[in-house]
Parts: sequence; C-alpha cells; structure tokens
Amino acid sequence: MSDVIDRAREEFFAEAQEIIEGLGRDVLGLDDARKRGSQDPELVNDVFRAVHTLKGLAALFGALRLAALTHELEEILDELRLGRRPLDDRALNLLFQATDICGRLLQAERDGDESPFPELTEFLATLRGDVAKGVASGSGVAPFDLDPGVLAVLTEYEEHRLRTNVESGLSLYRLRVRFELTTIDESLERLKSNAKPYGEIITYLPTGGGDDIDRIELDILLASKESLEVLVDVLGSVGADIEPVPRVGGKRPSQRPRPRVAPAPVALSRATSHPGPLGAPPELSRSASLRSVSQTVRVDIRKLDLLMNVVGELGIVRSGLERLDERLRLGGSLREIRADLVRLERSFERHLEAMQQGILEVRMVPLGQVFERLARVARQLSREADKDVHLVVTGAETEVDKLIVEELSDPLMHMMRNAIDHGIETSSERLAVGKPEVGTIALNAFQKGNHVVIELEDDGRGIDTEKLVMAALARGAIGADEVRSTSRKDILNLIFLPGVSTRKDVTEVSGRGVGMDIVKTNIGRLGGIIDIQSELGIGTKLSVTLPITLAIIRALVVEVAGRSFAIPLTNVQEAVVMPAGGVHVIDDRETISLRGSTLRIARLATLFDLRTPDEAAPAREYVVVAEAGQNRLGLVVDRLIGGQDVVIKAFGPSLRNVRGFAGAADLGDQRLGLVVDTLALLDEMSAGRARSAQDTSPRV
Amino acid sequence: MSEESSRPPGQTRAIAPFATRATSRTRVEGRGTVTEYLAFRLGTDAFGAPVAMIREILKPPPMTHVPRAPRHVLGIVSVRGLVVTVFDLRRLMRLAEPPLTSRARILLVGNNEETLGLMVDEVLEVHRLPEGDIERASVVVGSDVSEAVSGIARPREDRDEVLVLLDLRVLLR
Repeated sequence: MSDVIDRAREEFFAEAQEIIEGLGRDVLGLDDARKRGSQDPELVNDVFRAVHTLKGLAALFGALRLAALTHELEEILDELRLGRRPLDDRALNLLFQATDICGRLLQAERDGDESPFPELTEFLATLRGDVAKGVASGSGVAPFDLDPGVLAVLTEYEEHRLRTNVESGLSLYRLRVRFELTTIDESLERLKSNAKPYGEIITYLPTGGGDDIDRIELDILLASKESLEVLVDVLGSVGADIEPVPRVGGKRPSQRPRPRVAPAPVALSRATSHPGPLGAPPELSRSASLRSVSQTVRVDIRKLDLLMNVVGELGIVRSGLERLDERLRLGGSLREIRADLVRLERSFERHLEAMQQGILEVRMVPLGQVFERLARVARQLSREADKDVHLVVTGAETEVDKLIVEELSDPLMHMMRNAIDHGIETSSERLAVGKPEVGTIALNAFQKGNHVVIELEDDGRGIDTEKLVMAALARGAIGADEVRSTSRKDILNLIFLPGVSTRKDVTEVSGRGVGMDIVKTNIGRLGGIIDIQSELGIGTKLSVTLPITLAIIRALVVEVAGRSFAIPLTNVQEAVVMPAGGVHVIDDRETISLRGSTLRIARLATLFDLRTPDEAAPAREYVVVAEAGQNRLGLVVDRLIGGQDVVIKAFGPSLRNVRGFAGAADLGDQRLGLVVDTLALLDEMSAGRARSAQDTSPRV
Repeated sequence: MSEESSRPPGQTRAIAPFATRATSRTRVEGRGTVTEYLAFRLGTDAFGAPVAMIREILKPPPMTHVPRAPRHVLGIVSVRGLVVTVFDLRRLMRLAEPPLTSRARILLVGNNEETLGLMVDEVLEVHRLPEGDIERASVVVGSDVSEAVSGIARPREDRDEVLVLLDLRVLLR
C-alpha cells in the first residue's frame, strides 16, 4: 500500500515539475509577445490551465503552501484571461515571481522541508492586494451587426476576445463551412491551423441549416486584419464561404451579407449564457484544451530497465545463433544443431513476448489523468448551469493505452456536458419530485477481460422514449411500421443517429443527445462501443467499452477469395465449420443455427465484393462468430489460417471513408493484409434493419 | 538544402543525373525561371510534373487491393513500414488503361496530409523547362480534369513531342 502511495507521490512530483517548467516557458512567451506589442490569448489560457492543474495536484497531495499560492494565482489569471485586468509589466512580474516560488516550494515539499517560507507570505499578500484592486471591465457590445442570438450565446471569454479584437480595429468575418460529421475533428483542426496566422477564431456556431444528415454546417466568427480577398485565398481551399460582418452604422460592407449570422432558430430559442446546448462540434473543438498536448508518455525507469534486460537477453540469443552457424560450417551433427536451434527459437519467442508486454506497459497510463480533467470540467459546467452536482469517481487507477486516453477526452467531456446540461435537473425540480437536492454523477472505470469499461451515470431526468420515437419518426429515422417491433434498447439507441440527435426537437424533449452521434463515431474509431440505459425520471447510464490497447492485437488470419484478412480476436467468440446445407433465409437475411440458436451470417466475399458471380465459393467454408454488445454475427470465410499478433496501421486520410476495415497489417508475406473492423460490420448489419438494402452499400 | 539531398537514397535513378545540381530552379536569360519536370507516360501520352513534388520513384511492391475504396485507388502498399495509398493516375486523368508492364513505377508524392503513390506506365526523363516555353493549356484533356493541367510544353525543338504538365496539387486535392 505504501508502495502505491510512494508511486503516486513520485508521479505528482514529476507532473508538477513538468507543469512548472511549462509555466516558465509560457510566461516568457507572454513577455516576448508583449515586447513585440502583440498578445497571445491562447497562451494566457495555457498558463491559466497549467496553474489550475497544479493547484488540483498540490491540494491532492497535501502540498498546502503550493495549493495556496496557485489558488491566488488562478484568480489573477482568470482576470487576465477575461480581460478584466491588463497584461502589463506588473502582472508579468508577478507571474515570473510566482513561477519561481512554485519551483522552490515543490523542491521544499520533496525534501520534506517544512520550515517557514517568508517570501511566500509576502508574495501572497501582494497578490491579494492586487486581486482586490482588479478592474472590472465595461460590457460594451461589439459594434458589429451581429445577431443578438449570437451575442447571447457567447461566453464571457469569447465576448472579451471579440471586444479586444474589435478595439484593435480588426474586421470580423463570418465563415460558413460544411463539415462531414465523420471527419469534422480533422477538418476543423485544419481550418484552425490555416486560419491561425491570419486572425483569431472567436467562436463556432452550428447553423442548423443544411438537410444532409451526414454533414453539419458551422458559422465561424473570425477576427482578422486581412482583407476579404486574402482570407478567401487562404481559406477557400477548405470550402469555407466567407463574408465580412458589417460594422454597425456600416461603412464597411461592400457586399450585402445574408441578413443573419445566425444559428438557426434551434440555437436561438435555446440561447443561454453558457455554451452548453450549442451542439456537438463547437463543444468538441473548444474542448480541444482538454487533451493534453504532449505526445509523450512518462515512463517509470524500472519499466525501461526491464525492457533493456530483455534486449540483453535477445543479444544472447543472437550470439547463440552465430555459434550454431559456426558449428554448421564446421560440419557438426545436424541432430544436435537442430535441437539447439529449437531451444534458441523458444527462448527467442519468450523474450519477444516479454518485450511486447513491456512495450505495452510503457504505453499504459491511468485514466485518472482524464478523469481529473473531467472533474474540473464538471465543476465548471455545474457552476455555469447553476446546478448542484456531486461527482463520484471510482477506478481512476485503471490503465489504458495512452493513445486511447487522449482520444477519449473529447467524447467523455461531451457525455459529461450532456449529463449536467440535460440529465441533472435544477434543485427545485429535484426537490419537487422527491429527489435529493444535489444531483449525483458517477464516473466509474474498471477492467473487464481485455477491455476497459467506463461508465457515466447520472440520477437526472432520464430519456423519454416516447418523445424520442416521435422525434425519430418526424426525422424519418425509423418508419411508422417499425415502431412496434423496435425494442426499448433499439429506441434508446436512436439517440446515436445523426440528424435525430443534433436536432432541437429531440434534444428538447429527450433532454439529451446533443452530438451523441459524434461521440459514438469517436468511440467507434477507437474500436470501442457505447451502450445506453435510461429510465424516465430515474437517470441515464452510458457505458463505453474499449480495448486496452490499439497497438498490438491478437488476430485471426483468414483467407477469402485468395486474399488474407485479419479479424481482431477481441470480438471473436469462436470459429466453426459452416454447417452443410444449414443456411436458412429469414426475412432476406442468411442465418445458420449454431448449437440451437440462430446466428445471422455475412459472407466477406459478398460484403467486400471479392468474387465474380461465376466464381464458386469453396465446398467447405468457415464461420467466424463475432460479438459486440448484444449483436452477434457470423463472418463466412474460405479458410482459417491461424492466430497472429499484428500491429495495426491506420489507412491514410484518402481511405478514411472506407468502412469495414480498421487498417492494414503486415501479415508476414510482404503484402499488407487488411484488418477487418468487426464492430463496423456488426453495426452495418444491424443498421441494415433501419435502412433499405441499397443504403448499406458503401458510400465513397 | 536542395530537394535532391533530402530525398532518401536509392530508387531515384531516373533523376540521378540532376542530383548534383544545387537547386531544381535556375534562371535562363530571357525565357524565365527554369523548372525541372519529371516526364512519365500514362497510356500513350507523355505527362510531366515538377520534380520538386516527387519524393521518390518506386518499383511497384506487392499491392493489396482495398475493397470499397474509391475507383481511382489501386490499393495500398507498405513503404518502409508506412501504409501508402496508391492512385491510378490514368484513371484520375480519365485515360485508357492498358495492362501495366514491368516498366510501371509508383511516384511517391506528399500532399499536405499524407504520402500518396501514383502509378504511371513508365518514367521517362527529366526536362528542364523555362517558364517562357510553357504554353498555358486551355482545355486539353477531359473538362473535369483540365484544371489539373498547368501547361503544355514541347521539350525538344527537333521533334514534335508534347508534354502535358500536371499540377499534382490540384489533382490530388
């Protein structure tokens, strides 16, 4: 037990050290920028976040003096961030001094030195004095012809940025861009990086326009000193439609923009002072800050030592091989040499396995890092939404591949936002229905076999399935004739359909589901699945099931029409010989019976169009039974080749829209083999239920 | 700092004679900036693309067909461990598609997101073309790809050869 605490403490020091170092760099950056007469609001945000994290860490590990200092600092930084106080010499000096003291406090903490720190007391006094003097800013509305609906949904911070940019005489542009839902993350990042050198993006608002359920249209407010022509030149390539936003009293507009900058009535009618219910994409993009920027993993040196040892062992195997070669050349007994070769091979295999295991461990990080950030978001959101929420976290020590942890931040953050905005009721509503005044959100993580399960459960109002069905009907997501035959579980899953979930009618009646389709897409990309349970009036539970690692997976290699495919074993239950003459067609779907239960089958050759009509399938086929959640599917293949560890490599962006494959892997015969995305196929098959047959063909 | 020196060694034989040049752009008196173009054959016609755009020329490694991929995707190959999508340039340009021979090569080019492979029937040679010798193309090939044609050149004065110059950036957009 004390070992665990020691390890945690060690991590605290490492992380705190990293933060303080970063802090130093950022403050220098601020100073540089100021000397050049510019300022970088992102950097101020970075500093704010760093100090905030440091504060949380310090408090958690009982470094009280550090916690006290960072707490005061945070106040100052919040003022700076919101523009309530100028970033002047005095402010910068304070920041420099603070960084310095933080470093020394951490050192003292580490050495267990508890002697008084007069400098700190003095510094804190200065800080407090400064905060008290903080200047409140006027809340002048930007002199631009912006729709009041837009102004109403800007956060205080965004409003401040808008004001600052306007004050420095920049022009405001509205970019209207349509994004594919599936690629919105990358597209938005690209747009942001293209736009960054030319101006500052103030906010993103979904327009609610466009009737294509696979796309979403965003209005982006960009402040820039460049002319319209320059921006069209730079941003035209991403398909942005750019218009200047005229100043009030309008000298500027050379062309008449469309009357409103406007989120569609959807957003207008729900306009509030916080960004919560705006819809998925802006959340996801804003929450970019939730991801840690670093691509690095902090590794316990002992793990590396272990790996180093394995490498040493492998060296011994190599010299063993050399000796064998020598003996062969000298004409030793083949029998003996063979026996030694077998021994060496075994040893090699063992070490390779150890190495694989070691590297996987290096990639593992505790979910706690994300959970901590989530807790912070939860606190902030509940304050913004004026709801009392109690967050209970368990299983933060569960370890997951670093890559997965990073990709998880955004979906989890989104789920949290939904739970607070739409799940938990206000205190008065809760009291009225006899619930405790304070809402509870439970965030649990635990390992289950080769998977990690993360649950987010709230005791809020739950989802009204009847209204959800009505909304889905209105959207045409399901047909009237299907309603009665659709199970409760399938109805709840409607929340994940795009076009149902992002529309106002559902989000209002169901009280949930904003952008859940994007959440599902992101989780699916990680090879995970998301399940929902909800009781009206009682609460909602979302469970995300993820593989522990993406890097190396165990796969079953199969052959279809002379080509090799790898099927990840995580979702494979078993592989059986296709029963002769045992295929029954039920309702246009092929099924077989397997030990008394009916199993739907899909032929990979047909699914991937691998055989010409006159090519016959082999006489004996095999069925690989895949399962995810409640769905089961038998994949019919020609031949089973065997189990193999494979390293999945993602396709490039040019093939991103190709569904059904998780990527490619080297299967050992020079040629790349394709890794089947079992979850996508399962999805595709069950989605076929709701759609017409033609719809399931690939859209490319 | 030259384009050539940043290219990995080997597999660049077709451009090797120029590898010693410090830059692929020089000025020729009166006729404008000179750019080096790699000439290659697609079907029966010769095309050119700026040498600076091409990272590497490969003999086609074993290719893996990707079901459900767009029609112009021939498949994927592994280039030093990286998965590279290979496009059929002839199909992108709506040209005839005779079977590939042993002369077929893959040009590796990078658009801003990924490295792509472009299959061509044969790599010919490198031409140094001054700007003044390049005619602006109005409509040369099919109307929907003509945007990708940046110009027409006649690299040899003694022969009536036409080189269609491609803007790969437009083509791969």
